[in-house]
Amino acid sequence: MRILKNLQNFLYDQDYFIDIFNDCLHVYYYIDLLNLSDKSIELKLKEFILIISGQDLVVSKMDKHEILIKGIINNMEFKR
Amino acid sequence: MKHYLLVRIKTSKKTNLLLKLNKLNVDIKNIIYEPNYLKFQILSSDLKKIKKYLVSFEVEIIDETGIYKLKEELKKNNLIITGIIFAVIIFLILSNIIVKINIIHEDSHLRELISSSLAEAGVTRLSFKKSYDEYEKIIANIKEEYKDKIEWLEIDVEGMVINIRVEERIINEYDKSSNTCHIVAGKSGIIKSITTKRGVAEVSINDYVSKGDILINGNIKLNDEVKTSICASGTVYAEVWYQVNATIPLTEEKVKDTGKMRYNFLIKKGSVETVILKSRVGEEKRVENKFLFSFFGFEVYLQKEYEVEIEKITYNEEEATKKGIALIHEKLELKLDNFESIIEEKVLQKELKNNNIYIDMFLAVREQIGIKEYFDDSRSDTSDEDDNEYTNRIN
Repeated sequence: MRILKNLQNFLYDQDYFIDIFNDCLHVYYYIDLLNLSDKSIELKLKEFILIISGQDLVVSKMDKHEILIKGIINNMEFKR
Repeated sequence: MKHYLLVRIKTSKKTNLLLKLNKLNVDIKNIIYEPNYLKFQILSSDLKKIKKYLVSFEVEIIDETGIYKLKEELKKNNLIITGIIFAVIIFLILSNIIVKINIIHEDSHLRELISSSLAEAGVTRLSFKKSYDEYEKIIANIKEEYKDKIEWLEIDVEGMVINIRVEERIINEYDKSSNTCHIVAGKSGIIKSITTKRGVAEVSINDYVSKGDILINGNIKLNDEVKTSICASGTVYAEVWYQVNATIPLTEEKVKDTGKMRYNFLIKKGSVETVILKSRVGEEKRVENKFLFSFFGFEVYLQKEYEVEIEKITYNEEEATKKGIALIHEKLELKLDNFESIIEEKVLQKELKNNNIYIDMFLAVREQIGIKEYFDDSRSDTSDEDDNEYTNRIN
């Protein structure tokens, strides 16, 4: 498992990642989850606060550094 | 390996719960939102954390995941699984055990010899079966040991039964002193060709000979006096005649496979046969049985059921006659060698009766008629027919 972690570190050698695909938003290396509702989610990243607004937003997977949000995303705001 | 549990927590404020879980640094995946419930997978180590800090929530473990689920299932069904494994082992052991050894030969002495040789090689009743190569070695050893008694030996494994087929070696020891013979006519006919290897030819081409006439003489004469006697040899071809008849039905049923085949099982006890499954092909079928194993006198066969259709063919008189002639040819030609042939043929009588056609035929055939007839001092009348080398002993 350590090999996998090392490989992950090598490939994701960035402070954070934000991926959007098929009504999904994947955020890698978020610092904190500030707010969570089915219309808005606020995530604290290294340089800004990411505010995602939409409809029927649900968290599908979540751990210390990673979060996968599903739903209809209407707007994304970067608050510095 | 990470041990994940599928849990369900009762809550109406799902987002609040998720925020709390996030604050507790709990890894959660496969989150499913259900009315009044939040269902997700967590690490088993995180469960203690949840129970400790989220006391007001009711956590319910629904299932294990991955290898742990498999383990749990195995634990639940251990009795069935153990039973199946045990049954498979028993089946494998039983199917590899010899329950019966059949030595197929009428001579009990030879049977005993082979039986003792097999026992020495470890092939006994209630012993384990051996591989094909080992059986081949055993066969070679037995043949080597009894090379004057055994001509051919075969070990045939049929399920739990071993059939040993033996052919006894028969050594003919002829008395050389009486090895004098003539070549005589085995049938009446007109000589068409004669080849003498040893002896004196007594007949010429186009001579008519009757059955038993000397064709090649084994007595070498000089001035009507027998100087020496030898065993005559040679081949004599003559035109011989046959009158044959055949009956051909005007209607014939031909069985044809439709291509549909289904498997079934057959249990046989003595002459009683019981088919296990209901036949899945039509009424018209042909079956092939393959022996699987024998168990307490019950023989189990794998049965292949082939669906067939019966085609009714009607011949007219001419077609039936042609078929009859072809049938007569076929049967006669089976008896003839490469140098023998049908010279002439004629249909003597043809009659239609009871939906059958009767054919009476005359055939002239070029055939080898010379057979050996042994003699001592005076000629004997006894003879025997064989294909080429004719060995008949007369005392």
